[in-house]
Amino acid sequence: MKPGFTVKAIGLLMAAIFVFPTIVVVGTSFNASTLILFPPKGWSTKWYQEIFTTSKWTDAFQASLKVAVLAAIIAMVVGTLLAFTAARGKLIPSSVVTMLAVLPVVVPTVVAGLGFYIVAVRIDLSGGVLGLALAHSVLGVPYVFINVLAALTAVERNVEEAARICGASEFVTLQRITLPLIAPAAVIGGVLAFIGSWDEVIIAGFLNSPTFHTLPVIIFGEVRSGAEPSTSAVASTVTLVSVLMLGIAAGVPALRRKKLWRKS
Amino acid sequence: MTAVIERDIELLEPQPDKAPGFLARIPRPSFFSWIGIPALVFMALVFIVPLVVILTKSFTDPGPQNFSDAVNSGIFRRSLWTTIKMAFFVTIVCLLVSYPYAYAMARGGKLIVAVLLGALMLSFWTSTLVRTYAWQILLNNTGVINKTLINLGLIDEPIQMIRTNFSVYLGMAHVLAPFTILTLYAQMRTIKPELEQAAQVMGARPSVAFLRITLPLSLPGAAAGGILVFVMALGFYITPQILGSSRDTYIGTAIIQQVQVFLKTGVGAAESLILLGIVLLVLLVAGKFIGIGRILGLNKGE
Repeated sequence: MKPGFTVKAIGLLMAAIFVFPTIVVVGTSFNASTLILFPPKGWSTKWYQEIFTTSKWTDAFQASLKVAVLAAIIAMVVGTLLAFTAARGKLIPSSVVTMLAVLPVVVPTVVAGLGFYIVAVRIDLSGGVLGLALAHSVLGVPYVFINVLAALTAVERNVEEAARICGASEFVTLQRITLPLIAPAAVIGGVLAFIGSWDEVIIAGFLNSPTFHTLPVIIFGEVRSGAEPSTSAVASTVTLVSVLMLGIAAGVPALRRKKLWRKS
Repeated sequence: MTAVIERDIELLEPQPDKAPGFLARIPRPSFFSWIGIPALVFMALVFIVPLVVILTKSFTDPGPQNFSDAVNSGIFRRSLWTTIKMAFFVTIVCLLVSYPYAYAMARGGKLIVAVLLGALMLSFWTSTLVRTYAWQILLNNTGVINKTLINLGLIDEPIQMIRTNFSVYLGMAHVLAPFTILTLYAQMRTIKPELEQAAQVMGARPSVAFLRITLPLSLPGAAAGGILVFVMALGFYITPQILGSSRDTYIGTAIIQQVQVFLKTGVGAAESLILLGIVLLVLLVAGKFIGIGRILGLNKGE
């Protein structure tokens, strides 16, 4: 049955509540005043000019980007390998592989963060891109794993078999048939891993140093001690990057399909 | 006689289905077994080792008394209660608001579905930190809501909303409700609208059709989403830290305080294990009834 008026009204009201905080943050970033006002008093882009020219923000921006890209790449490789083992391997029970691959979702970030912190300090990986990227990559693995596993189970074995019958070797079948079929899922998983790292505060806070911090860590510090419109500008930029990445991830498979259609 | 034949058929039947013929046809390369090993080693080194290190720290730095220190610490004991209470309320709020939203998404027209889904996704992909910051801007004594109410002449003095349980519950529910909405939505999509129509044809009012048909059939989704949100809320740090009162300590804050303020890593490790233990216990007990895969949203591929 169609939802009644009340249900629709409640839904729309909640949709407004969902979106409103994001609008508020973006709105306050365009304030002409030095106070965080909403609706903003006078429009100005000076806070954006400030954050793109101050080294505190640009350094953190670069650090965040490096960590997130590296974490996403590692997560894509590890997650895809684990998905292949869970779906096709026979050496290790797939339940064990699945458990290990999704465990990072279950462990609270504070707990994992404390573990990473103790280990990173001992092996001198704290306060750098590599240490944080490794920690973040593990948190991204479940996203890639779940997506690729779903894609792999959907791959028709007949298609692979056809390639084999036509004389393709195992490796060529994998390279020309299976990998292209699961690539979109791996990319979406990778984008989710990127965003997971890009937004992450707790582990990044554990593993920061006076010269190395990511954007969320600085935002968190400022929100606690007193935010400025520049904080809103950074927060808006961080959100924009996440939303753009997702848009690309959602758009790429559709574009590819269109292209294939046109070819045939 | 027939009974014997049926039994014989039963004995015979499984064999053609079983894999050998199938396996012989498609060569399953052991290749796939081997490529997983580096990935498993990676997960063990980067994720399992830190967890094992927490375990050893909690028993050896300086000793197992870390656990009694943790349990005897008034701050930690109160934080357990504060956190569980918060997680419980937030779960209830999330479920209550999720029902109309998920229902409108599952049964509404194209336009309303697009609006609801779009709003949900934008919120979902705005980070927890940014959304919490937004609630701070909104709920402050000099914030948007108080100013608006004063300007409208509804109140003279600002209402204290920030640094109360209210602000924590609101912020947490805002961050976590998308999870219950999405699980509930997925569940409601599996319920055939014809069932509700049948009930109404038989004379049930829409509300009765909902209560007797949709609600019971959607309960597995509600339970899965609720457990997921409850468990996630237990480990939250950022939102309670920014929106909560300094008098209320939550588990996440208590752990980080032990490590970074009191420099007692061992006690922090013990507290972490207690938190992890509670989370795993809830997941295992709930998983017995509704399935771990369903709670974690792993069933999509099947």
